[in-house]
Amino acid sequence: MSDAAHAHDDHSHGHPTGIMRWLTTTNHKDIGTMYLWFALIMLFSAGTMALLIRAELFQPGMQLTNPDFFNQLTTMHGLIMIFGAIMPAFSGFANWQVPLMLGAPDMAFPRMNNWAFWMLPVAGLMLMASFLLPGGAVAGGWTMYPPLFIQGGISYDLTILAVHIMGLSSIMGSINIATTILNMRAPGLTLMKMPLFCWTWLITAYLLIATMPVLAGAVTMLLTDRNFGTHFFNAAGGGDPVMFQHIFWFFAHPEVYILILPAFGIVSQIIPTFARKPLFGYASMVYATASIAILSFIVWAHHMFTVGMPAAAQLFFMFSTMLIAVPTGVKVFNWVATMWKGSLTFETPMLFAIAFVCLFTIGGFSGLVLAIAPVDIQLHDTYYVVAHFHYVLVSGALFSIFAGIYYWLPKWTGNMYNETLGKWHFWLSVIGMNLVFFPMHFLGLAGMPRRIPDYALQFTEFNQIATVGAFIFGFSQLLFLAVVLKTVKGGEKASSRVWEGAEGLEWTLPSPAPYHTFETAPVVK
Amino acid sequence: MFWSLAALCFAMAGGFAWLGYWPALPFAGLEVGLLAWAFSALRSRKDDYESLVIEGDVVVLDWHCGKRGGRRELNRRWARVECKCRTPGRNCRLSLCSHGHATEVGQYLNDEARLQLAATLRSRLHE
Repeated sequence: MSDAAHAHDDHSHGHPTGIMRWLTTTNHKDIGTMYLWFALIMLFSAGTMALLIRAELFQPGMQLTNPDFFNQLTTMHGLIMIFGAIMPAFSGFANWQVPLMLGAPDMAFPRMNNWAFWMLPVAGLMLMASFLLPGGAVAGGWTMYPPLFIQGGISYDLTILAVHIMGLSSIMGSINIATTILNMRAPGLTLMKMPLFCWTWLITAYLLIATMPVLAGAVTMLLTDRNFGTHFFNAAGGGDPVMFQHIFWFFAHPEVYILILPAFGIVSQIIPTFARKPLFGYASMVYATASIAILSFIVWAHHMFTVGMPAAAQLFFMFSTMLIAVPTGVKVFNWVATMWKGSLTFETPMLFAIAFVCLFTIGGFSGLVLAIAPVDIQLHDTYYVVAHFHYVLVSGALFSIFAGIYYWLPKWTGNMYNETLGKWHFWLSVIGMNLVFFPMHFLGLAGMPRRIPDYALQFTEFNQIATVGAFIFGFSQLLFLAVVLKTVKGGEKASSRVWEGAEGLEWTLPSPAPYHTFETAPVVK
Repeated sequence: MFWSLAALCFAMAGGFAWLGYWPALPFAGLEVGLLAWAFSALRSRKDDYESLVIEGDVVVLDWHCGKRGGRRELNRRWARVECKCRTPGRNCRLSLCSHGHATEVGQYLNDEARLQLAATLRSRLHE
C-alpha cells in the first residue's frame, strides 16, 4: 500500500531502503501497512483451511482428510483467524488511523511499535510450521482445553510459545495505543471530542492489558503440566481441567469484545460519513462501549454451562450475559438513528457497514438464545454455536475490516478503488457468507455436533449449501485482493477529503497522507 | 487509567493465585511494570521543549529535557553552527558553539529538519 502512497515523498533521503526500510521502520504508517498485509496473508491461510474443512463436509463419510488432520484444520483455523488475522488487522487500523485522527506525529513509542509488529510473523510462522512437525499441528481446539492439550506432541509446545509471543505483541501494541490516545491528542481534542474509533481502541487496549496476564498464566501452566511435572490441570495428578476452562474464558470472553469493539469504532466512523449526519448519541456510544467492556469480565462461565455449576451461578451468568444486549442495543439503535433521514449513499464501505449492522444483530440475537442456560445445554457444541460466532466474527469483525479498508484506502494510497469491483466483492461476500453460516443454525438445532469430519445423512443438504457458500465467499476474497492491488498500483486520484460527508483531522491531510504528518500539532476548536 | 489497570490485573491474577494458579501473578507484575515504565516515560517527557530566540545581538537558548534543563545566552556575532553527520544526511548532531562551549539544539527534530534548521540558523546569524 505505502509504496504507492509514499512514492512522491522525500522521506527516503538517508534512510534505509528495500527490506531494511520495513525491518527498521518506526513510522506508524509503514507499521500499519505491514500489520494489514500480515493479516491478509493469515486470512488467506486460515481461509484455505476453512475451505478444506467445508470440502470435507460436503458429503457424509471421509473424502479428503482423516479425522486427526480435520481436527488440526479446525484448531489452526480458529487460532490463526483470531490471533493472526482479526487482531493484527485492527492493530493495522489503529497504527494508521489513531495518530491521524488525533493530530499526533506518530505513536508514543515508535520502536516498541516496530518490535510489537515483528514478533507477529515469527509467531505466525511457528503456528504454520507446526503442520510439518511429527504428529502434525495442534488438534485440541483453539480453546486449548486439557487433557487434550496436555497429551499432544511437540506442536503443542510450539503453539503455546506462539501464543505467548502473540500475547506479548498485543500487550506492547495496546500500551502504545493507550499512551498515544491519552497523551498525544492535538490541543483542544478532549476525550469526549475524540473520534469513536479512538474510543473503542482505548477501551480495547484496556481490555487487552487487563486480560493478557491471565492467558499467559494459563498457557504457562499448560506448558509446565506438559513438561515439568506440575498438575495444575492434569486430573491424573489431582489437577482440575475445568479450572482451565474458567481461567481461559476469563481471558477469552473479553477477547471476544477485543475482536468486536474496534469494529464498532470503524462502523461508527463510516455510517455518519455516508448518512451525511453526525453520529447519533455520541456520548451514549462511549458509555455503551465502556459498559460492554465492564460486563465482559463477569460473563465468562456462559461458555461452560455444561460443566456443571450451581443453579445460582447459572442464573447469574445467564442474566449478566443478557445484560450485554442492552448497551449493544443502544449502539445498534444509534447507528440506525444516524441513518434515519440522512442523505444516504451506498458506496462499498457503507454497504459493508450496513451489512455489519444487520448481520451482527443476527449474531447478537443467537447469542441471546445461547445465553439461556437450559437452551445452551441443548445447543452446546453444536453447529448453532458455530453459526452464532461466525455471524459475530465474519459479518461483524471481518466485514468491518473490509468496510474500513474501502473507506480509508484512498487516503492511504492516494487512489480511488474500483467501485464496481468493490460492489461485486460486497454482494458475493454477503451472499456467500449467509449461505455458509445461516444453514448452520438449522444443523445445530437438529443436533449436528461441531468439530466432526463425518455426520449422519440427514444433515447432508444443509452441509452442501454451506460448502457451496463457503467457496463463493472464499473465492470472492480474491476479488478483494485484486481491488487492493489495483488501487495500490494506480487509479483515479483521490482528493484530500475523499468522501463528501467525512469529518475529522485525517481528512485535512492530502491523499495519500504524507510520510510525516502533524509535525506541528493542529488545534481543534 | 494506570492505577485502575494495575488494580484490575493484580486483583484477577491474585484471585487465581489464591486458588493455587499462581503463574498468572508474575505475568501481571511484568505487564504492570511495563505499563508503569510507559506512563512514567511519557510523564517525564511531557514538559520537554526547546526554544531558540534571536533578538538583536543575543541568541537565547532555553531547553527542558526530562529532569534536565537550562538556559544559555550567546553573542550572535560569535555563535557558530556546527552540524556533524555520521553518514551523509543521517544521524546528524546540531550544535551552537561559542567560547569553547557547544550546546546541542534540534534534539526533537529528525535529520532532515535538523539540516534545514542548520541552514536557517547559519543565514540568520550572519545576515
